[in-house]
Amino acid sequence: MSENLPATIDSGGTLALPSGVSELPDRAPRLGVFTRPGESKGWRSWVTTVDHKRIGIMYGAMALFFFIIGGSEALLIRAQLWAPRQQLLSADVYNQVYTMHGTTMVFLVVMPIGAAFANYLMPLQIGARDVAFPRINAFSFWCFAAGGLFLNTSWFLGGGADGGWFMYAPNSGVIYSPTHGIDFWNLGLIITGIASLSGAINLIVTVLNMRAPGMTLMKMPVFTWMTLVTQFLLLFAIPVLTVAQFLLMFDRLFDANFFNIDKGANPLLWEHLFWVFGHPEVYLMILPAFGLVSDMLPVFSRKPIFGYPFIVFSGVAIGFMGWGVWAHHMFVSGIGPVSVTVFSLTTMFIAVPTGVKILNWIATMWGGKLKFSTPMLFSIGLITMFTIGGLSGVTHAVAPADTQQTDTYYIVAHFHYVLFGGAFFGFMGGFYFYWPKAFGYLLNETLGKWNFWLMLLGFNLTFGPMHILGLQGMSRRVYTYDANYGFELWNKVSTVGAFTLATSIALFLFNIFYSRAKAKNLANPGPDPWDARTIEWMIPSPVPAYNFDPIPTVTHLDEFWYRKYGETEDGRLVRVAATEDVTQPVHDADVHLPAPSYWPVVTAVSLPIIGYGLIFSLWLCIIGGLVLIAGLYGWVTEPPDDPEATHGHAPGGHASGDGHDADLALRAGDPAAGSVDGVEADTDAGSEKEVTPVG
Amino acid sequence: MATTHVAPASVDDDPDAHPNREKQYVIIALILAALTVVEVLTYTSPQLFLGEDGPVIIPALLLLMAIKFWMVVGFFMHLRFDKKMLTVVFYSGLALAVAAYLAVLTIFRFWGNDQVVQPPGIPVTSE
Amino acid sequence: MASTETPIAENPEAEPTTIPASAEFIPAPDPDVVHGGHGFATNTGISNTKLGMWLFLASECLLFGGLITTFLLYKLPAPGDGPAPQELYDIPFTSISSFVLLMSSLTMVLAVSAIERGDKQRFHTWIVGTALLGCVFIAGQAYEFQLFVSEGMGYTSSRASSAFYTLTGFHGVHVTLGIVMLVSLLLLSFRGHINRHKAETVEVVGLYWHFVDVVWILIFAIVYLIP
Repeated sequence: MSENLPATIDSGGTLALPSGVSELPDRAPRLGVFTRPGESKGWRSWVTTVDHKRIGIMYGAMALFFFIIGGSEALLIRAQLWAPRQQLLSADVYNQVYTMHGTTMVFLVVMPIGAAFANYLMPLQIGARDVAFPRINAFSFWCFAAGGLFLNTSWFLGGGADGGWFMYAPNSGVIYSPTHGIDFWNLGLIITGIASLSGAINLIVTVLNMRAPGMTLMKMPVFTWMTLVTQFLLLFAIPVLTVAQFLLMFDRLFDANFFNIDKGANPLLWEHLFWVFGHPEVYLMILPAFGLVSDMLPVFSRKPIFGYPFIVFSGVAIGFMGWGVWAHHMFVSGIGPVSVTVFSLTTMFIAVPTGVKILNWIATMWGGKLKFSTPMLFSIGLITMFTIGGLSGVTHAVAPADTQQTDTYYIVAHFHYVLFGGAFFGFMGGFYFYWPKAFGYLLNETLGKWNFWLMLLGFNLTFGPMHILGLQGMSRRVYTYDANYGFELWNKVSTVGAFTLATSIALFLFNIFYSRAKAKNLANPGPDPWDARTIEWMIPSPVPAYNFDPIPTVTHLDEFWYRKYGETEDGRLVRVAATEDVTQPVHDADVHLPAPSYWPVVTAVSLPIIGYGLIFSLWLCIIGGLVLIAGLYGWVTEPPDDPEATHGHAPGGHASGDGHDADLALRAGDPAAGSVDGVEADTDAGSEKEVTPVG
Repeated sequence: MATTHVAPASVDDDPDAHPNREKQYVIIALILAALTVVEVLTYTSPQLFLGEDGPVIIPALLLLMAIKFWMVVGFFMHLRFDKKMLTVVFYSGLALAVAAYLAVLTIFRFWGNDQVVQPPGIPVTSE
Repeated sequence: MASTETPIAENPEAEPTTIPASAEFIPAPDPDVVHGGHGFATNTGISNTKLGMWLFLASECLLFGGLITTFLLYKLPAPGDGPAPQELYDIPFTSISSFVLLMSSLTMVLAVSAIERGDKQRFHTWIVGTALLGCVFIAGQAYEFQLFVSEGMGYTSSRASSAFYTLTGFHGVHVTLGIVMLVSLLLLSFRGHINRHKAETVEVVGLYWHFVDVVWILIFAIVYLIP
């Protein structure tokens, strides 16, 4: 069968081919605007990157930016609550500030930091060269950035959203909240939801399909497992939130009747939809941190994780069971005693797998040779602080007790202990641990320890007293309190704590700049500064663009450890190889990598334009729509260019020499195949090519 | 060449091996059409199903719906013949959706003859 | 470590200079290999694209489930808000729409079969057929909706009407996006990008299309037929 290759298949441009060839013959001439970007330095290289490491770093940087915004909102809250009946913030402004604080911290800080680590780290932990769909990965990041910024422009365009991060109906309707703030909230989070959903598909396919040879699922590091569970939670939870958000949007923008009481609507519909999403949401916020800690503790205890299968399965169990507990957020909403009882029981049960993890972590440390580095301190911090938060959580599960606790500061204490003391402490440990790997220099240890202790102190001062305030009856979500209830002392302590916390964050940021400056005069810490266990520590720091060369074949859990250490007959650890011998040196590898692309940015940027259009003017919708179509068209007609690059490893699973040769033979005989042929009609598929199961 | 480990998931995957595959598809389509006819009969001739208010009609419709669903997913979408992982992935999403939303409906006391529970003061439509 | 892949640069002779303009440029390495393509091994044996699409479809179950649940809760309007959807249905008309969509699944699957055989003519025919049937379905929906509106059930009339139009509207948008993808496949095929070895792209679009049909199977029964 003969086919005529049209002369203008692809947009031409610089393609990252092996052996330095910069352009294919017989290709279409470059069309100015549509030249494929090819820089590797400068801001343009970041804007067009599809490299998972850069995307991960951008997620992290953007999340820290939003953390400062959300943290400032928190300081405003704490300042307002310093003394009774203060008027620093009016009730209306207070509503906006605490809504935006919660929304920012949940959707624009904790989730993206999870995404940052998942993006940067997971492909390295499984020995891959990138994720399954690199351009979709870039699109996810830019969607998140666009959505988050869009949401925050509400401050300048009429005021922030003011219905609480949980946005209960009918309070969230135009009658009670006539400004555009909630529309910004709604549309902004729909956009970030698209980011999360596409990211979830991407990362799940990556973990399932792109592991190094020999890396079975039960040899994956715990962080990768937790990432996998988290992405499944996202995959299934985000659509539920999306339904709720569309219903709200149609109510607010088009006068629909989903939450219109006069037309017989039931406000509980929102609560159910939101919390069916909302509960899995909180598990997907904590699981990545659990994963990080599960990988850090063994390194600083010089012992393998205790009960690896239990850690893995308890994570999966948390993922499953998290779907059965959502109405514990609705105990006082009138759902009736039967429903309350059922959800009270399921909520108590879910404490079990988490308890398993805590025990396993402690058992990991028990008898180990502990090193209290900064990452270790933060890991122990997570275990202790999360346990406190978990215990208060168990008290919430007891529905009669919760009837007392709900809508008080006791709840605020609980979720800050698990989210800040849990997830954020875990992330801080992860930052300190992985900083050298990503940037090629260590963060200063002394400053790190100060950072930890100040943060621990500030955190406990801020949120510890809230348990007391809550049990004393101080209401949450309210801009002030009266003088004769005895709330004054602990509110003051809490506010002092908040500013202490802020100082510790400032110290962290200072540490970054300080260490970076000092690093110029220090030697590179090398691939393995911590004497770690998993394969991402085998490669140079910072990680080269191609990640691994060659891709290692994995035979053990904690593969890297086994290459360095063996055990004597009486179980003592003995070194079997020098680090230099088992780590990969920096070298110039001629490896196909996915080419950068403009189109993910263009497509992502169209979404907030449509958002502004829905709020202000339909003309903007049309413009946004055109940009969207242009972005998708450009994307679909641009060849992914490098199918092999994203699958830079040999046939996975059953590493057979035969299958291997087939791959090489394929590539040898058909090196340009990808770039010519790689046009996809299915935009969902992004840049990936179909694969042949081999081996 | 090196495909010692590979085989198509089933012989159905290889189009050349099965000239009758297209005929199979047409048969499936005809079955689906017939099932749809039966479904519509519940509307045009409910007496065949023991009446509109009877206990048979809703289960019958749900059953027919489920069979059609399963046939399109299994045969047209090829799920029966593909790797099991895809079945697991898709049906776990479906199962989760069904379980969660059935629970929501249950909490709303959707089943049975009384109306959806409303907070006080909200008009309730009577059937 | 020598057993793992070696960098491609080892084979500098593998230059693209010899791509004939008219040849099939992706030789299938092995006739047993599923769906052709020069591929790449994945741990699961399933291609990235296909796995990705099935994951997406699984998530769509949660989306449509939520909309169906909302409809079920709101299917009766409050008194005085206008007619209930079930008072206005024209079941025979909607049944024809259902047939049309079901048949479009058949034409879709025949299109996939055709391109897997390399029969581009048939492939074009069936893809056009699928898209046309999809358009007929959408036209039927549009006609039905405007009829309902003229009979007193607008989008904002009642909780039931909002729920009905939102659910069926979401479905309609999905069908429309499917038609856009089908037309894109057709255009890509005219430019020579779709061939026997790219059949999986068509299959993956087909998966989306069938899913949209499957959602209609649910909607037809739950929304229209169940009394």
